[in-house]
Amino acid sequence: MEQKKYWQSFGELTNSAAHQKSAQDEFKEELPFDGFDARGLEQAGTPRRDFLKYVGFSTAAAAIAASCEIPIKKAVPFVNRPAEIIPGIADYYATTYVAGGDAIPVLARVRDGRPIKIEGNDRSSWSKGGTTAQVQASVLDLYDTARLRFPAANGKEVSTFEAFDKMVAEAIAGLGGAPLVILSSTINSPSGRQVISEFLAKYPGSRHVQYDAVSFSGMLQANEATYGKRAIPSYDFAKAKVIVSLGADFLATWLNPVEFQHGYTQGRKINPANPTMSKHYQFEGMMSMTGANADERFTHRPSETGAVAAGILAALNGQAVNVSGDKLKKGIAKAAADLAANKGAALVVSGSNDVNVQVLVNAINEAIGANGTTINWANPLLNKSGVDSEMAALVNEIGNGSVGGLIVIDANPVYTYFDGEKLAAALPKLKLSVALSEKLDETAKLCKYVLPVNHYLESWGDAEMKSGYVSLLQPTIAPLFKTRQWQESLLKWSGNTTGYHDYHKAFWSARLNGDSNYLAALQDGVIEPGASLALSTASFNAAPVAAAVAASAAPAKKGSVTDKTADVEVVLYQKAGIADGRHANNPWLQEMPDPITRATWDNYVMMSPSLGKKLLKIDIAVDTQADKYDAFPKKPVVNLKVGSKKAVTLPVLIIPGMQEETVAVAVGYGRSEEFGKASAGVGQNVYQLAALNGATVSYVTAGQVEATDATYPIATTQTHGKYEGRHEVVKEVTLASFQKDPRQIIEARAKELAPWGGLEHYEKDGTIYPVFDKPGIKWGMSIDMNSCYGCGACVVACTAENNVAVVGKPEVLRAHDMHWLRIDRYFSGNPHDPESIQTVFQPMLCQHCDNAPCENVCPVAATNHSSEGLNQMTYNRCIGTRYCANNCPYKVRRFNWADYTGADSFKHNQDIFDENPAVLMMNDDLTRMVLNPDVTVRSRGVIEKCSFCVQRLQEGKLQAKKENRPLTDKDVKTACQQACAADAIVFGNVNNSESAISKTRKENELRLFYVLEQIHVMPNVSYLAKVRNTDHISEHEAEEAKEGKAEAAKPAAEHH
Amino acid sequence: MAALRYESQVRSPLVTGEKTYHQVTEDIVRPIEGKPTRLWYIGLTISVVLLLFGVYSVYREVVYGIGEWNLNKTIGWGWDITNFVWWVGIGHAGTLISAILLLFRQGWRTGVNRAAEAMTIFAVMCAGQFPIFHMGRVWMAFFVMPYPNTRGPLWVNFNSPLLWDVFAISTYFTVSLLFWYSGLLPDLATVRDRAREKWRKRMYGVLSFGWTGSTKHWQRHEALSLVLAGLSTPLVLSVHTIVSFDFATSVIPGWHTTIFPPYFVAGAIFSGFAMVQTLLIITRKVLRLEDYITMEHIEVMNKVIVLTGSIVGIAYITELFISWYGQNPYEMAAFKNRYDLSTPYAWSYYLMMSCNVIAPQFFWFRSLRRNLLFTFFMSIIVNVGMWFERFVIIVTSVYRDYLPSSWSTYYAPTVWEVGFYLGTFGLFFTCFFLFSKFFPVIAIAEIKHILKKNGESFKEGMDKEERESVEEFAHENAHH
Repeated sequence: MEQKKYWQSFGELTNSAAHQKSAQDEFKEELPFDGFDARGLEQAGTPRRDFLKYVGFSTAAAAIAASCEIPIKKAVPFVNRPAEIIPGIADYYATTYVAGGDAIPVLARVRDGRPIKIEGNDRSSWSKGGTTAQVQASVLDLYDTARLRFPAANGKEVSTFEAFDKMVAEAIAGLGGAPLVILSSTINSPSGRQVISEFLAKYPGSRHVQYDAVSFSGMLQANEATYGKRAIPSYDFAKAKVIVSLGADFLATWLNPVEFQHGYTQGRKINPANPTMSKHYQFEGMMSMTGANADERFTHRPSETGAVAAGILAALNGQAVNVSGDKLKKGIAKAAADLAANKGAALVVSGSNDVNVQVLVNAINEAIGANGTTINWANPLLNKSGVDSEMAALVNEIGNGSVGGLIVIDANPVYTYFDGEKLAAALPKLKLSVALSEKLDETAKLCKYVLPVNHYLESWGDAEMKSGYVSLLQPTIAPLFKTRQWQESLLKWSGNTTGYHDYHKAFWSARLNGDSNYLAALQDGVIEPGASLALSTASFNAAPVAAAVAASAAPAKKGSVTDKTADVEVVLYQKAGIADGRHANNPWLQEMPDPITRATWDNYVMMSPSLGKKLLKIDIAVDTQADKYDAFPKKPVVNLKVGSKKAVTLPVLIIPGMQEETVAVAVGYGRSEEFGKASAGVGQNVYQLAALNGATVSYVTAGQVEATDATYPIATTQTHGKYEGRHEVVKEVTLASFQKDPRQIIEARAKELAPWGGLEHYEKDGTIYPVFDKPGIKWGMSIDMNSCYGCGACVVACTAENNVAVVGKPEVLRAHDMHWLRIDRYFSGNPHDPESIQTVFQPMLCQHCDNAPCENVCPVAATNHSSEGLNQMTYNRCIGTRYCANNCPYKVRRFNWADYTGADSFKHNQDIFDENPAVLMMNDDLTRMVLNPDVTVRSRGVIEKCSFCVQRLQEGKLQAKKENRPLTDKDVKTACQQACAADAIVFGNVNNSESAISKTRKENELRLFYVLEQIHVMPNVSYLAKVRNTDHISEHEAEEAKEGKAEAAKPAAEHH
Repeated sequence: MAALRYESQVRSPLVTGEKTYHQVTEDIVRPIEGKPTRLWYIGLTISVVLLLFGVYSVYREVVYGIGEWNLNKTIGWGWDITNFVWWVGIGHAGTLISAILLLFRQGWRTGVNRAAEAMTIFAVMCAGQFPIFHMGRVWMAFFVMPYPNTRGPLWVNFNSPLLWDVFAISTYFTVSLLFWYSGLLPDLATVRDRAREKWRKRMYGVLSFGWTGSTKHWQRHEALSLVLAGLSTPLVLSVHTIVSFDFATSVIPGWHTTIFPPYFVAGAIFSGFAMVQTLLIITRKVLRLEDYITMEHIEVMNKVIVLTGSIVGIAYITELFISWYGQNPYEMAAFKNRYDLSTPYAWSYYLMMSCNVIAPQFFWFRSLRRNLLFTFFMSIIVNVGMWFERFVIIVTSVYRDYLPSSWSTYYAPTVWEVGFYLGTFGLFFTCFFLFSKFFPVIAIAEIKHILKKNGESFKEGMDKEERESVEEFAHENAHH
């Protein structure tokens, strides 16, 4: 068939050239693409398509550019790398934390030449790697901006040490034989003591006086009277089945809390197979941290301590107990009965500085067979040697001009001595006064010559906290400033030309038989007695006891309370953080919440709820008033008067458990700005309220509080003190009920979870979503609430390890504190009945929930779950919506409200901290040297929280991988776990059945619980319920009463 | 002939004053063509000052951090998100009026829909500021946009209700804006056609997108209106539902509540109508539009207010009942923290209850529904109440949640926090003042649909005949 041709145009018909061309091109018109090459971008015509392309490109480019990194401000690389430093690899040096007489063996973690973290040295047989908050914080003191930077004479810089030495030598010569006195804190350094004796030998007539800011003179003298030894024995709390403490805060500040916590905790751990525990009685006036951990706590006026001691002694001897108050009497009878029943496994300690009280305590310990069992005289504690009468005599001599010269080493008596004023008036009159001090302080300021000394991390040295147990110091960094160790100075001044380093080496090489042993000891950090020292007793001389009993009668109660004023007894105490005030300029310690009050950055009057009701018209037992009291940080202010002259004005915190007529104020506060930015203007100094009572300084005095109309804001990190019967949060049982029904906790859990698959299938059946396998490593933590005493060492350790920002009081007041780990403290019981108060400490940190509510709400997935079970925060992805923090049931997420760290790229945005010097201090170039380079410094506007120390986990995993072996518990330890002297925290790989965490969870299955388990967030931190060795749990009372009623009603109903 | 007269009295006219088509145009375009009044200048000045204060407040917050506000470790959201939800809620009335009432053929909507839609758009603009600037790092806000990027496999988290908000609010804003603007086109063309000045002609010429009023234009316009109304209708329900998911999907007692979606939507319409009342009562007075926005409009909207207010009231009571009925101690505690007078925020709960539940009940009385002053007063009360509703939900739930250790101190805003809120008022009213000056506040084209002018003219013409007797009529008409 012939093909018919249809044509549309003549061009097509004729097949013209124009038609061919147009048929070839898809588009009839010229395509609007315009190459830039010929005319350049500017001249190029930009049709619509190109315009859209440009818009698309520039938007994308802008988005990419905006997400680029911000340039780094400073980075100083090594030109030549020192052989021993490998960037990114930390070195550990064994050394010893020394503060006054306290000496804790530690390891200093040094990164790129800077010490950044202190860890306990577990080679020490008594500290077992435990630390305190002060130890953890001490690394920051190295970089304290308030440190003295050069020697000075009469306030002017002295250019060289030689010139300074010459001046001092001339001044000593100019004394003309007038006595020269070395006044120091307790020195238990063997080589240091030798240096001092050499110096004293060089200058006849000179002497050495030791002085402790908080004195233990009463114990020393009592022991001298009854045992013939002016010393303090070792206490073994591990062996004590019954512990009675008469106001001794032995878990926080009394003598050697690291050792005591470790010992005490042996009696608090519950063996699942055979649940028993020690019984701890506390008799005290104030609410101490140790008291808060006691099984039974009885309160009395502090002046009654002697009467209570005499009462216990009388009860032990079967005599009548002469104390006021039925509860107290019963308590004494109960404690005495328990002590008597556990002879040889019981211990009584007292925090009193009264010789008579301590004599009575010795008599009790003698009666219960503690001497030689729980009290060991073989290796006395050497950290407190100051005797008050010696100090008093010295102050008198300085006052009357019979002392020629004074060399003050590491002591600040003008501030800490109760009669510091007298000393301050007399000091400038001395012909020669030399302060060997790390920082300018009240005493150094009045001295003619001030020679700054090294921080312990810059020093050589040694310490003997317990006789026979030596720990060595070695420098971890060259001195940052023109400073010199006091030992070296004394050597110079006594004409010994040996440097202290050589002296130290020779000293120990001689004792250890050779240099290599010395080097080995330096590496270990500790020199332990070869075999554990045998227990030793001391013979007891009962002669002084009768006099002590006679002197122990309590003074009559004053007890007048009017609308405005109240007679009270004032207790001066040390806080777990600030202690005697030596570390007052340490922002980490200032910001560490007090275990009991949860307050930061202040001291205050702790007052009982009953007195608060009468005097301040605030009844915290009434919800409305308690709510108001909780919700506003402004607290009432009172005048606290002692005697006719001494008075301080301080805010009040109402604390349950305080004895009604007792108020307590912490020492260590009230420094002026010249001694440091952080401590400036924080609280008031109350050392002057102490008084010389006979031979010893008494930290308990009679006084009067007077209500005022003023208020003062106190920055507390926790406002509400009760757990409101929320058993999903805190579980506690009595020992007796646990023994009777050990399955009660697990059964309660099973009952709660029964509708959702019970304990076994809860993970799967409690959700409609698929559940994922968790192979490989799965990190988990277990916290034993029975062995957390609230001391806060972990909190500071976490701060140091993770570069947690300090925010200062103004920000804590606004609840902007940044701690990743906090210790929640809950009271239960009737606020007006101090004996009924029970306290719980619960460390709270990110629970690393497997089904984390924070993760699914983040719009940008900045917080997500790792394959190892970590809930991880990606800081540079975070846009700061704070949704995760809202949705966190544990409220552990912290937001960077302002530029606390200087990591922000906005200029001048730290101007708002003008009234907040602590933040500025932490942002000083010097202070920032403490930052851990392994951990990102978070910038403003992002959320942060506990990471389970992920940098340590990575390091541990890499180590194991390099050595081609499976990960073990030793490879990874979180900072909090490491700091804990009581081993309350266990951490590790849950998927490894051999790991400590798996074992702990399995063995303690009956006590294990998860906080808020019922909301199916599947936390990875488990807690072990608190067991109290007591008759009942205060928090359960209301429920028991209800149940009792219900049960009582039941038979009646059946009857009908 | 009176027997001839039969008039249906089912409805009273929606526009009073017997307007002619020309008069309608004159009345509505008058403010655009004339000089603004002194009051307008004063109002605009105050609004701009507020806006600038808001800008400075936001500047401080962006430069110094969220610490410029009094939020804290326990209360992560306070005034910021309260304001966000409040403004989003306000927007809802506009969409409801323009979309749902269009579909339901409610003629009366034409008197108020333009202004209400404008209000929606401005309110959503204000609302949007809060989720953006409540971010700690607002310069990273673009992270919430799902687009292929250079940051590796990072993608947004589609599980997060906050991300749903991003989509919900942006969709809502876009659709509302299109709907509003497409409705404006014929009116803008009217203004253009009347313009005497060159600049006005040009400006409205551009704005009206070349509208000629051809039948094709009208046909497409109608179709578009229906399509957009269809799109907007689910948005009325979905946007606040999604906003409520921010809370409902969380684990916090007081937030974690399944009743939230309907409860939030009802609350949104409730507060939206109150805001429409506030604005229109002033607008009709100032622009002399009483004939277009009549007492009937006011009354009908008051009826909506009493209805939605009562729904909200039932929701409140249901919440309380369920917290007791569920016997979950944490939820019971969360609600105790609201109603228990001893707690620090109980006042806000009772303020909310009285403003939102008790106060609207007065609208059961016809005389009060038709009382302008009372309506105005109530519209303010309702919006105060609705602000506190969001405050109560957000702050009193989160400030005391699971762990008593984290219970917060009393939260009160800083001046910058309040400043941000005032700034959005500034933004809202600045926009509204400009809108009322440059755009027809009533949909001219649409309101002409509902004029009864033809009927009225016929009636007028017939008047004479009706009054005549049959004889007269016959006589007269027989002449021709």
